[in-house]
Amino acid sequence: MIIKTTKLGYSEAAGLALVFIGTKAFLGYPRLISQLGFTAGWLIILISVFVSMGFWLILSALLAKYPGESLLAINEKVMGSKIGLGINMLLFVYIMLSTGSLLRQFSEAVILTALPEAPVSAVAVLFLIPAWMAAHLGLEAISRSTYISLPFILVGVLVVLLSLYPYWNIEELYPILGAGLGPVVKYGFLNSSVFGEVIILAILASYFSFRTKTLRKVGLFSLVFVGIYFILIAIVYLMVIPMPMATESIAPFYQLSRAIYLGRYYQRLESAFVIFWTFTAYLRLAIGVMVVALIIRDSFKIPYYQPVLPAISMIVFSLALTPVDFLQAIEFEGGFRLPYGWVVSFAVPCAVWGVAVLTGKAGRGKEYDEKKE
Amino acid sequence: MAKRQDNEGEGLSQEKQGGLISKGIKAGVKLLVFKEKTPVDNFILEGVDERKQEERREEEDVAAVHTAKDDKTGEKARANKGKLRQKKSKKCKKPMRVKRLSEQKGPITLDNLLVSPELKVNKEYLETIFSLPENKDFVLRDFKIFSDKPTAAFALFMEGMADRSTINEGVLKPLMLLDGGQDSSNDVTGIKMAEYIKERVVYGNQVDIIEKYEDIVEKVNYGGTAVFIDGCPRCILVETKGWDRRPIGKSETEQIIWGPHEAFNETLRSNTGLIRKSIRNTNLMTELIKVGVQNRTDAAVMYMKNIANPRLVEEVKRRIEAVKSDYVGESGMLEQFIEDHPFMPVPQILATERPDRVVTYILEGKVAILIDGNPHVLIVPTTFFSLLQTSEDYYLRLPYGNILRVLRVGAMFIATTLPAVYVAITTFHQEMIPTDLILAIAAARETVPLPTVVEVFMMEFAFELIREAGLRVPGVIGNTLGIVGALILGQAAVQAGIVSPILIIIVAVTGLASFTIPNYSMAFALRGIRFAFTALAAVFGFLGVSAAFFVILTSLASMKSFGVPLLVPKGPKTKTESDVVLRGPVWSMEERPDYLDTLNRRRQPRISRKWTVESGKRGDDN
Repeated sequence: MIIKTTKLGYSEAAGLALVFIGTKAFLGYPRLISQLGFTAGWLIILISVFVSMGFWLILSALLAKYPGESLLAINEKVMGSKIGLGINMLLFVYIMLSTGSLLRQFSEAVILTALPEAPVSAVAVLFLIPAWMAAHLGLEAISRSTYISLPFILVGVLVVLLSLYPYWNIEELYPILGAGLGPVVKYGFLNSSVFGEVIILAILASYFSFRTKTLRKVGLFSLVFVGIYFILIAIVYLMVIPMPMATESIAPFYQLSRAIYLGRYYQRLESAFVIFWTFTAYLRLAIGVMVVALIIRDSFKIPYYQPVLPAISMIVFSLALTPVDFLQAIEFEGGFRLPYGWVVSFAVPCAVWGVAVLTGKAGRGKEYDEKKE
Repeated sequence: MAKRQDNEGEGLSQEKQGGLISKGIKAGVKLLVFKEKTPVDNFILEGVDERKQEERREEEDVAAVHTAKDDKTGEKARANKGKLRQKKSKKCKKPMRVKRLSEQKGPITLDNLLVSPELKVNKEYLETIFSLPENKDFVLRDFKIFSDKPTAAFALFMEGMADRSTINEGVLKPLMLLDGGQDSSNDVTGIKMAEYIKERVVYGNQVDIIEKYEDIVEKVNYGGTAVFIDGCPRCILVETKGWDRRPIGKSETEQIIWGPHEAFNETLRSNTGLIRKSIRNTNLMTELIKVGVQNRTDAAVMYMKNIANPRLVEEVKRRIEAVKSDYVGESGMLEQFIEDHPFMPVPQILATERPDRVVTYILEGKVAILIDGNPHVLIVPTTFFSLLQTSEDYYLRLPYGNILRVLRVGAMFIATTLPAVYVAITTFHQEMIPTDLILAIAAARETVPLPTVVEVFMMEFAFELIREAGLRVPGVIGNTLGIVGALILGQAAVQAGIVSPILIIIVAVTGLASFTIPNYSMAFALRGIRFAFTALAAVFGFLGVSAAFFVILTSLASMKSFGVPLLVPKGPKTKTESDVVLRGPVWSMEERPDYLDTLNRRRQPRISRKWTVESGKRGDDN
């Protein structure tokens, strides 16, 4: 008898969501929000968190109607097999694009900070091969690694933020409303795409060993936690690197770690922090490749996901190398994925929820869910 | 002509090259293409659902009732079930008494032979089975049992395995001289005689009356003495084991300062005795399983019946019993046969030579596997964190124990990454080093013609050589060789300008750190991993170090040890007392590890220090 049970606990689930959403802090995200809201960049994040929490509640209401089933299965049940498959493919493309885009940005960031002579393709390959290997080992391996390494990553980030204490200047956060109430609210809503990646919890719902009610709490916790973490980074970034310089930095976190100077021996530690954020990048890329492979497996009902990993890795690699240069990659992230990503991650699932409510289709019922605990 | 030959030679070498390339491509494709794994029994340790077991038993009974085609009485059904079992056993060969060899048709097989009442026939068979008299290890001693009518008999034992004085004093002397109660011995014959001798004559503390040759051979092979008597269709088997053995000595590989110093030796029964000495509890079970088709060594599976998860015990026995190999005589070999991931560098089974450690784990709900002739006991399941712990961590007071543990974890990281970090910093990230230090490093490296990574690999290789040579060369010379080799080699290498002095410090610190890892296999694993880290750091700097960390962590997270993930209680997170890297006070460890799903979770009551809540007898605070 072969037992194939991948069951993850809520700690692993939260770890997956936190890393999947939170990795952006190491890339251009702090710069992007300061471009949108000036000194009120952190307020944009605050609004985004609340907006995405609202969306997540709708999404978890949809999951609660079909306990124990993933968003992919629900899409097919509610919308029919063809439209459902189309929506699943939309998710596939979205996560694939975001993973490819992140691969490029991380590779460029490494070249910028640590390996100036290395060709981008070599760095991308070194990112992709371990991610592929991890995906091959399975979701359990990735989620456990994520949960174990999360405290180290958080401590690394906190050390950077606290080491900059001498440069904190609260004056730089004024005016509080930055670009004005209108833009802050508008971008606060659009920026919810950043948190839209919480959708992986819905995609992986069938792999969790806990109830849908707990999944809702895990989602909310992840959003709030990442929100606080983003806000802290944004505030420190704005306090240390004031406007308008804050809108020009290509790698904000690198610039922050580079600014550390606590005596002659505790300075220029940006390379040491490379280990922290590249490790997070590995986790994020592995989760991306894994989720994409699972979407393919669950949508096309194939028994194994491992055979599609080489193809997925190849596509992600090609997508990563498609932008001509780093700037074009950043433009894609800031100009396309962030303003419109919420459509795929929140609007479409909400529409599915609407259809489910209107048609009154229901899943296995509460009894199934209660059996889990 | 010569040209033609040259051309042919070139053609051949091109063909060879082409063959090699195509082989390489095929190997690459094979590596990339997914292959479905052969289905194996994947074991996941879960709690015992008593209700399910009850249901299963009921289902079995119902099935038996159906096969009986008689639903009226359950008893008949059970009787039918018994018949079925009998039918199954009938498939085996029917036991038969031995005949004279001349009457025997076909080859002799042990499994169906019974002792003959004729002494001569038994002797002939034993001479055939043990290849007597060519095989000098077995001794066949003829004698007569003392009585009015002396009865012919012979004893068979193995020289070297059986204790000479026990045979002389406890078996031969009573039979030949004393004869218990002489009055009645004249009347008893046949089986009764064997029983009489067992009860009243032979002094042995373990005496059995055996009928099957299969059992006789097994016991004689393990130091027993078999006595055959004329006219008796049974054999009297006296336990006379006694071979030269190493006394219980000090632990060689897991030395501690505080705590017991005794270690296991090569005798199974001494080892089980050492464990029993510490756990004086009837729930401690010792089950023996034979391993190795040819050597038939005893493996003892020890666990607490009222604590260990029965599914775990069942799985351990299932794996050991399923090993079919000519020779499995060493715990390291058995470990390779039963572990979950044989190709991974990190061990998934903990081997220890300390009885106190085994006792702790058995009481935790784990299972110990002891192999006869081996001082290392295997503990399953094991976790990654327990590979970094020693028993002394628990014996020392809380702060000291924790300091040791933190030190060891730090040492693990140093042993794995220090050379890699040095290579990464000096090759790619020089800006990290403070100016004064980088000037010192630059000055030291000025005369060195080799790249840092070559330097590191060269010195690491030399260090490994010294370590291996020191281990193989006997005793005192080995230690001297280690110190002299390290000092002279290091000094000479620096003076010759081949390596920088800073690198000597790096390699020495790394070596020291690797010696602090308490588990021998784990230390080996870290040595191998260190080279991978260094190679990646040499190519990609800190990114390579990060990649290596990631691959190692995900690999560890995917591993299991007897159904338990290797990284528990952290990956996956399970309920745990504070005993992972740091440990809490011993009185706060109230429950057994959650991941073991033991039958009895609680180790001690919530308040184990009852004196803290006793009222009335308190003294003044001052």
